Amino acid sequence: MLPSPISRVNSSASQQPNPLSIRLYKVLAANFDDDATKAAVQTLAELYGPPGHGASKAKGKQVQRDSGGDHEELDEEDGDDKANGTVGTTRDGDKTAVSSVIETIPGEIAAKARRGLRRDVENKLAESSRRFLAAFSEVDKQLDTLQEHVGAMRTRCDEAQSQLRETNDSCRSLLDRAGSLREQRQEVSTRQSIVTAFLERFTLTSEEIEAIVSREVPVNKRFFKAMDKAERIRDDCRVLMAGEDGPTKAGVDIITKTSGYLEQAYEKIFRWCSFEFRQMGRDSSVDVHPSLREAVRRLRQRSELLTEALTTLGQTRQSTLLSSFTTALTRGGPSGLPRPIELHAHDPLRYIGDMLAWVHQAIAAEREFLEGLFGVRAEEDGRMVGAVRQFTQSEEEEWMSELMDVAVGGLCTPLKTRVQQTIRSQESSITSYKITNLLQFYMLTMQRTIGEKAALSRVLQDTTDFAYSVFYEAIGVQGRSLSAVTLDTDDTSLTPPLVILDHAQVLREILLVYESSLGDDIAFYNKNRTTERNQEQDARRREAAAEGCHSILDKMVDPAVEMCIVASETKQRLVPNWDREVFVVNVMTYLQSVLEPFAFTAEKQGFIQSLVEGRMMQLIEDHYTNVIADTGLGEIVEAWKSRKANEPLSHLPAASGTRLQAALHSFSLWLTGNTIDHPPRLAQLLVQSLATRVHRAALARLVHTYRWICDEVRKPENKYEAASTLLGSERPFGQVHLLWQIFGIDEESQESKEQEKLTF
Amino acid sequence: MKYIIIGEAGTGKSCLLHQFTHNAFKEHSQHTIGVEFSSRTVKLGEKRIKLQLWDTAGQERFRSVTRSYYRGAAGAILVYDITSRASFLNLSRWLADARALGSPQLVTVLVGNKSDREDDREVEWAEASRWAAENDVHFLEASSLTGDNVEAPFLLCARSILLAIESGALDPEKAGSGVSYGDRALRRVNSSSRLSFGSLSGGRRKGAVKLHLPGGSKCC
Ligand SMILES: Nc1nc2c(ncn2[C@@H]2O[C@H](COP(=O)(O)OP(=O)(O)OP(=O)(O)O)[C@@H](O)[C@H]2O)c(=O)[nH]1
Ligand SMILES: [Mg+2]
Repeated sequence: MLPSPISRVNSSASQQPNPLSIRLYKVLAANFDDDATKAAVQTLAELYGPPGHGASKAKGKQVQRDSGGDHEELDEEDGDDKANGTVGTTRDGDKTAVSSVIETIPGEIAAKARRGLRRDVENKLAESSRRFLAAFSEVDKQLDTLQEHVGAMRTRCDEAQSQLRETNDSCRSLLDRAGSLREQRQEVSTRQSIVTAFLERFTLTSEEIEAIVSREVPVNKRFFKAMDKAERIRDDCRVLMAGEDGPTKAGVDIITKTSGYLEQAYEKIFRWCSFEFRQMGRDSSVDVHPSLREAVRRLRQRSELLTEALTTLGQTRQSTLLSSFTTALTRGGPSGLPRPIELHAHDPLRYIGDMLAWVHQAIAAEREFLEGLFGVRAEEDGRMVGAVRQFTQSEEEEWMSELMDVAVGGLCTPLKTRVQQTIRSQESSITSYKITNLLQFYMLTMQRTIGEKAALSRVLQDTTDFAYSVFYEAIGVQGRSLSAVTLDTDDTSLTPPLVILDHAQVLREILLVYESSLGDDIAFYNKNRTTERNQEQDARRREAAAEGCHSILDKMVDPAVEMCIVASETKQRLVPNWDREVFVVNVMTYLQSVLEPFAFTAEKQGFIQSLVEGRMMQLIEDHYTNVIADTGLGEIVEAWKSRKANEPLSHLPAASGTRLQAALHSFSLWLTGNTIDHPPRLAQLLVQSLATRVHRAALARLVHTYRWICDEVRKPENKYEAASTLLGSERPFGQVHLLWQIFGIDEESQESKEQEKLTF
Repeated sequence: MKYIIIGEAGTGKSCLLHQFTHNAFKEHSQHTIGVEFSSRTVKLGEKRIKLQLWDTAGQERFRSVTRSYYRGAAGAILVYDITSRASFLNLSRWLADARALGSPQLVTVLVGNKSDREDDREVEWAEASRWAAENDVHFLEASSLTGDNVEAPFLLCARSILLAIESGALDPEKAGSGVSYGDRALRRVNSSSRLSFGSLSGGRRKGAVKLHLPGGSKCC
């Protein structure tokens, strides 16, 4: 690890000797008491000792030179010292050997040694110094060159500095300018951003302008957005210009420009709407694109444009509906199915019903379409058309009803013509009436759906009125024709004649139609008569129903009644033994039976009933007369009635005891006879209950007559002999209650019921 | 798409429709007078279909009026009341009417209403189902009261109609088919989609275009 001796030598040559000398001086200057110094001095002493020590001196020189060259050697020596602790002792031995050398002159050896040493050292020092100098002169030379360079550099630097100074001076103004420029730029960019913001706010981008102006860009979201912006700009501008500063040129410019664009936008919407509307006509579509709805909404700002566009729409829809209607009428569905409506023209109800149903459905679809167009969806989807519509007079609603009116209006004429034609060609009043009802039904439906003022509603009203007039005319004619009818004198029957039967049949059918048509609600109310309100309504509807059929009944029933009375009178005159009363009652009750199932005919039934009642009184009277004659009591009664004041009845020739006896006998026979239960005349009455009623009433009167007879017979002043025996000899043996029993009549009730009616 | 709702009075037609359009039971429903119109848009797959619904009166006296509304209907919802055998027995008459007066491709769905009143049932499901199969109509039971199964018949009907259109049996472009494509834009979309009705209406290329509905799960 130690450097090789050669390298050590080489290196020592270049090394400064100073450390050695320093060390030497240090050594020399020190007090040399320590062992190391002592050892060194010892060595020196050997080197510079007296001759005889030459070998050692030479050796010492060599060592000196060596150690002088490298103090590491010394360190090594030190190390060795330390390593070999025992050496000291041997040196101590040597020391004693050295000190044992005897000096010739005291201190001479030392002086000599010193001189030697000094010389050596000085030589050495000189030598190194020389080498130093040589080296330094070299360095000096180099330094000179360096200095030259430095000098040159300084000059340069000075130049540079002065230049720099100059530059600096000139830069300062530049910097100042740059600073101000920067400020300016800041300002400008602020202004720019303001301007940009302003422009953004107050001008349309080219894209937006394109959206508004270009025909290429469709009316869509982009267009509407641009339009919104234009609108906003205009409004903002207006607000700004309304401020204190008043209108500025820029403001006016912007407004003018934007308004221009807006106008173009409205124009574009208008053109587009008109175009779309025309398309819409062609394929009757019901769904409305949101853009179109939006367009219509916006166009409301330009009512004249909207009006024009919607007029176009109305016209297209009108012609579309009309052509679809015509197609449905004449050609039917695709490949003829469903069949054309006109195919059923021979079936008037189906024909008219199909047409009206078609129109109704067209209206519903149209309404849907319009609601879509105007964005009106109040009840969202589920509105029932049948339900009464609240006619809210919003602008949209007005538009819609107007458009509806226009669109459907085209159907009015062809519909009306066809319906009227059909009505006119009807021969049957029943069909006529059915048509009338159908028309009325649709009239009400339409009124509820599109309002009373709508053209179609009015047409339906007209046709309904027309149908009514035709129908009334028809039944009027039918009624009048009855009055010309005479009864067949050869016909002995008492049943209603054929004309009446036919007439009643028509009446019945008309009433059936009437009932089912008005029935709307009656049927419902009959079923649900639970609440008071319903009952009330029920009653009111009944009234209304009765009201409605008044004229029908007047026109149908009255002539029949009149004919029955008049014609029967005539026949009676020609055929005296023909039983007119029974005939009349039969016809009347028949008419009643026709009316009876219909509650709303109550009034007419009452009217007939009163006529029947009159006839009944007559019948009862007649029947009683017949009965009393048949009983044989008649003669007695007649005789008694002819008596003069206070004359005893028994004295009347026709009412003598014998005659009375005979009469009572014949009465008794009559009581057991057949006719008592089945009077042949009354059997002709069609209504059995009436016959019974007449018969009973007559019998009741008979009872009263019998009682009266008994009473009179028993009266002493009438001077009938053995009155009780007389009465008791024949049934019912003078017992009135027995007679009641025989007749099977409840005495009490009959007593009170017939009491007032009985007249003698 | 135009639908008619038919069946005996009191079977719950109006209630069924009300439930369908309002999602609520119609209390105190009265007899329908003539016909009533309502509409609802349904989604079938990606299609939005507007249904025009014509509720008819079941009462006999309105028969002459309601018959005129069958014309051109694409779908018929035939309703009977599972608690009324009479309403079931009359079905043939209703169906015959519908077939005679409606469009030839009329799609009919039979609905047994009031399925909530199981205790009063007079018509068994199996029997009605058999009748439906014999008469080639779809069949479902529903309750307008609970809303159970109420949408299904309408959707089922719409789907069948769409299928009929696809198969070329029904041409929506023609008047009276009971179907129309409201929006032209929608039609444009259609013509480029798999459910291409446009191509069918454009020419008589029956079967040339193979179409498939995007899976039954999308509807019903
Ligand atoms: N429990 C029950 N009752 C129902 C249901 N649907 C209808 N109803 C009842 O049945 C009755 C008749 O219902 P509507 O819907 O008016 O019958 P409709 O078929 O429209 O009758 P018309 O209009 O006369 O043809 C009403 O009292 C309803 O409350 C149902 O699903 N369940
Ligand atoms: Mg109903």
